[in-house]
Amino acid sequence: MSGTMVTGTTTTGAGIAVSVLQVALTVVGAPLLVGMMRQVRARMEGRAGAGVGQPWRDLRKLMRKKPLDPHGTGPVFRTAPLIQVATTLMVAAAIPFVSVDTGVGEAADLIAVVALLTLGTAALALAGLDTGTAFGGMGASREMTITALAEPTVLMAAFALSTRVGSTNLPAIVDAGLKDAGRVVSPVSVLAAFALAAVVLAEAGRLPVDNPSTHLELTMVHEAMVLEYSGPDLALVELAAAMRLSVLLGLWSALFLPWGTATSTGVLAVLGATALFVVKVGVLGAVLAAGEVFMAKLRLFRVPELLAGSFLLAVLAVAASFFLE
Amino acid sequence: MNLIGAGLACSVGLTGAASAAGLALPRRSRATGVGVLTAALGAAGVVVGVAALSGRTFSACLPDVLPLAGVYLGVDALSGLFITVAGAVVLAVAVYGIGYHGHGHDPGRAASALFPLFALAMLLVPAAASVSTFLVCWELMAVTSLLLVLTEHRRREQVREAGLWYAVMTQLGFVLILFALVWLAAAAHGETFAAIRAAAGHLSPAVRGTVFVLALVGFGSKAGIVPLHAWLPRAHPEAPSPVSALMSAVMVNLGVYGLIRVGMGLLGGGPRWWWLLAMAAGAVSAVYGILQASVTSDLKRLLAYSTTENMGLIVLGVGAAGLFGSAGKPQLAGIALAAALLHVVTHSAFKALLFAGAGSVLRATGTRDLDALGGLRQAMPVTTAAFAVGALGAAALPGGAGFVSEWLLLQSLIHGLAVPGIVVSVVLPIAVAAVALSAGLAVATFVKALGTGFLARPRSDGAARAAESPATMLAAMLMLAGAATVLAVAPGLAGSWLARAVAGVTPVGPAVADAVRTKLTVLGSTMSPLVVVAGTVGVTVVLAGLLRLVVGVRRRAVPLWDCGAGPPSARMQYTATSFAEPLQRVFDDVLAPESDVDVTPVVESAYLVERVSYHRVVPDRIEHRLYAPVLIAVRWCGERARALANGSVHRYLGYAFSSLVILLVALAAVK
Amino acid sequence: MSGAASVQVLDFACGVFLLAGVGALWRRALSAVIGLLAVQGAALAVVAAALGADEHHPELYAVAAGVGVLRAGVLPGLARRALAASGEDRESEPLVNVASSLLVAAALVLLAYAVAQPLARLEGSQGSRALPVGLASVLIGLFMLVARRKALSQVAGFLLLDNGITAVAFLAAAGVPLLVEIGVSFDLLLVVLVLRVLTVRMQSAFGTTDLDDLRELHD
Repeated sequence: MSGTMVTGTTTTGAGIAVSVLQVALTVVGAPLLVGMMRQVRARMEGRAGAGVGQPWRDLRKLMRKKPLDPHGTGPVFRTAPLIQVATTLMVAAAIPFVSVDTGVGEAADLIAVVALLTLGTAALALAGLDTGTAFGGMGASREMTITALAEPTVLMAAFALSTRVGSTNLPAIVDAGLKDAGRVVSPVSVLAAFALAAVVLAEAGRLPVDNPSTHLELTMVHEAMVLEYSGPDLALVELAAAMRLSVLLGLWSALFLPWGTATSTGVLAVLGATALFVVKVGVLGAVLAAGEVFMAKLRLFRVPELLAGSFLLAVLAVAASFFLE
Repeated sequence: MNLIGAGLACSVGLTGAASAAGLALPRRSRATGVGVLTAALGAAGVVVGVAALSGRTFSACLPDVLPLAGVYLGVDALSGLFITVAGAVVLAVAVYGIGYHGHGHDPGRAASALFPLFALAMLLVPAAASVSTFLVCWELMAVTSLLLVLTEHRRREQVREAGLWYAVMTQLGFVLILFALVWLAAAAHGETFAAIRAAAGHLSPAVRGTVFVLALVGFGSKAGIVPLHAWLPRAHPEAPSPVSALMSAVMVNLGVYGLIRVGMGLLGGGPRWWWLLAMAAGAVSAVYGILQASVTSDLKRLLAYSTTENMGLIVLGVGAAGLFGSAGKPQLAGIALAAALLHVVTHSAFKALLFAGAGSVLRATGTRDLDALGGLRQAMPVTTAAFAVGALGAAALPGGAGFVSEWLLLQSLIHGLAVPGIVVSVVLPIAVAAVALSAGLAVATFVKALGTGFLARPRSDGAARAAESPATMLAAMLMLAGAATVLAVAPGLAGSWLARAVAGVTPVGPAVADAVRTKLTVLGSTMSPLVVVAGTVGVTVVLAGLLRLVVGVRRRAVPLWDCGAGPPSARMQYTATSFAEPLQRVFDDVLAPESDVDVTPVVESAYLVERVSYHRVVPDRIEHRLYAPVLIAVRWCGERARALANGSVHRYLGYAFSSLVILLVALAAVK
Repeated sequence: MSGAASVQVLDFACGVFLLAGVGALWRRALSAVIGLLAVQGAALAVVAAALGADEHHPELYAVAAGVGVLRAGVLPGLARRALAASGEDRESEPLVNVASSLLVAAALVLLAYAVAQPLARLEGSQGSRALPVGLASVLIGLFMLVARRKALSQVAGFLLLDNGITAVAFLAAAGVPLLVEIGVSFDLLLVVLVLRVLTVRMQSAFGTTDLDDLRELHD
């Protein structure tokens, strides 16, 4: 087995600093990203909008409230938001957003990253079931169905991206993309990009899979699952959802728009890469928000079609990686 | 006689003692006596297995034990791995049995005496080193397990049906294995494994191929590989819980052992199509098994189908190993086989744990229907926590035992690109997709099992009255949970053992063993499991602390959101059936569920509804399509054959006589 | 155009060609399907032109222009008019549902790659590497003929099939003789016209263009 480890085999102090920077960036930036996307949407729909900082103001307001325990809920309900935030933070530390030299080293594995995000989803789904309400169960059921069907696409795309690098290690994949720009614009990469884009929408709960701003029982997925949360717990859930979105967009940009990511931990390189990363994720978010203005939510039972389509693209990516290389 | 020999002798002695205790002890102390002695038997098995894994070998010939053939025993590292797993699970399950049998579920004298015999048979199968010894041990295992499945046949009607299915399937499987091994022995002019191994290379491809296919089908039926899985979701749920734990966590492994031993050990690998066949069977089993598990609402049936899934993944890994081996990539083959063997180990840990948890639930509530469970986390906190650890493992999420082995399996498949050839480049993506889909569905399945079975509020009186299990059962579950957790965070500890087991069967040099060891050590020390789990747990704890600092410790209890219509009752909860409904609809074409809705209107009106009842059954479609025609054909033959038997004794004697004469004539003609 | 650039263009055009074929299977709205067919036709024209540049066959430019006009312009235009005449814009209930169709398409693409690989290796030229793409389009077209009900979907499947055949011909033999191509194209035009007439007549006779209704003629 040719496990070509380019970087990240050793955990350096600077690498850990990069990871901490990425985590901090995600925590601070994620609500701003959501605010910016809502603002874009509002402007395009002819409204003034609440401003980019509104999600942060919401979080502050929620954190000041008293924590509540709905009747009959247990430890799972209370810890699930924490687990979701924790898994997302771990992922944020691992993915090479600003530099391929993160402090997590070999743990920054594409499959492990996906599994961690799934762990967060599963924890929240269990919390939804723990409330013992119809809404909680409904949301959990739908969310898990979508997650289960998205898994093959993710791993297939991972397969396509990792075959040429000889490893599923994220820094190695990003590093290879940086060294050889031809890889990133190759058919394999383009097909995998489209496939993963559909999965990002599904996993982040965006249109057309789920509508984050709906509270109608027929259409809720994620919101139904977390209906019983309030106060600081809700703040954590909201924060986790925002971070998940930025982490997924960041992962997508790291894989398919790697240019500008630092290959060292030099201060200037990292700062430049940070600025560029913020711009990339911001542009992706704005494009997504603009696209959502023109999109309607799919019926739940049309979602498998979308995921089957993205799976097909992933298969094509794999086929291309086998045959066109 | 070295440590292994002493351990084996010791375990035989302990079995005798345990069986005698089962027969002789009074009811009050029977469970404890049998349990303690069987646990010691398991411990002896662990000693034997670990000794073999540490590099010792053992072989012995006891010519007087079996007439004509004699008993040949031989333990190498591969046997050692399976013996260790079997011994460890027997140890835990025996302890579990003390509480389970001692408090209300007394199985009776016969079953108590058979239980240790079953355990011993599973330890001896991997230790057999000749065809006749192997077959005797195998049949001992089959018969004792069948009798144990039938333990509760007086209490429930379904047990008899399950027993019948199991008896037929397991004996058919045995006949196929018998044919395969006896043919192999005849062709190789020797029945010890060493003689066969030496001669196997010179056999004709047709013989080798037929033997392999027979072995794949025979051992596959024991491992619950589709389409020979039909007995598994019947027999495993109906057996008493300690027996189901042993069957689902250990006995099925021996099917895999047989496949590896015959396909790779005795035949020394083979052409590509053998392994593609194995991979196809494995992939189909993995996806079909977990799909059925995701829509069933019987907790033990769900676990049994999940066994089919995991065995499918293991057989997929074994097939990939054979494929890479036949393509001249021994390193890749070693890693794929190591992944399969690691999954054998992790699956045994979490599946024994899950069945133990399910047994505790069954004992406490009297039902295994997830639609009637719920709310157990308050009454049974330890069981719930243990089941959660097992579910995490079965869902292959970080922190669960299954994650590491599935990760390794995916790695070996992804790196299989190095193997040239179109078939490989088409098969590997499909294999990855199958593993991925089964992993995704496994998450949904075990969220359902844990979420509707243990969380929320009780859906029936039985669930509401549940109480925590006795201490011995909890101890056993904690033991298994500990083992599963250690495997999940530090699989590297088993690295050198796995490497030795792999090196024993694939015809490769120590270089491969080294590569496997390095890969697994890397996995254990620097790769994800420990970092990922420690990081996630650490961050969660820190966040919890921060949250307490910011908002304080006191939390106020409030009612649930009820849409203003009064407090929601337990009947309004999502059940396991409703949870699985979207998946069932998505896979409608594959599962072909049968559901019907009965609407009873109020007498005077066609519009006012008095009650609506909804029934849904998801039949096993493969079983319906494949087995029903066979059963009909068999019945038809039986009806026809009745004409031959008219009750006259002379006629029967005439049949026997004429068949003897025909046989002699045939012999004379052949000579 | 330099060699490397024309190969890149060729790869890109083949990718678009395949994606358009898959997209035609994915979408239910018939107008979108026709749009994708036009895209596929245009990609086919680009393939021809890139091949011409790569192998220095100027007459391929003429073929490319012809293919472009016919397949990206005329045929989709005719289909669009038929669509307007029939008044049904959705393949509402295909015989095989969309998700399964897409999985079947994935399998077909893998099959096409597996089958065409030895050929591509034998040929060794730049264009023949993309041969599986054409074969995949042929298979997807055939599958669409089997799995869709509406007459216009059948037209779409037929066009996919034919685009695939043409692509295979270009890629394997660096272009069919001009005369043959023209002949085939006229056949195609005729078929589309016939199917269009059929659609209109069916619409007036049955009120729908579901081909399964033709069974009524049998009784």
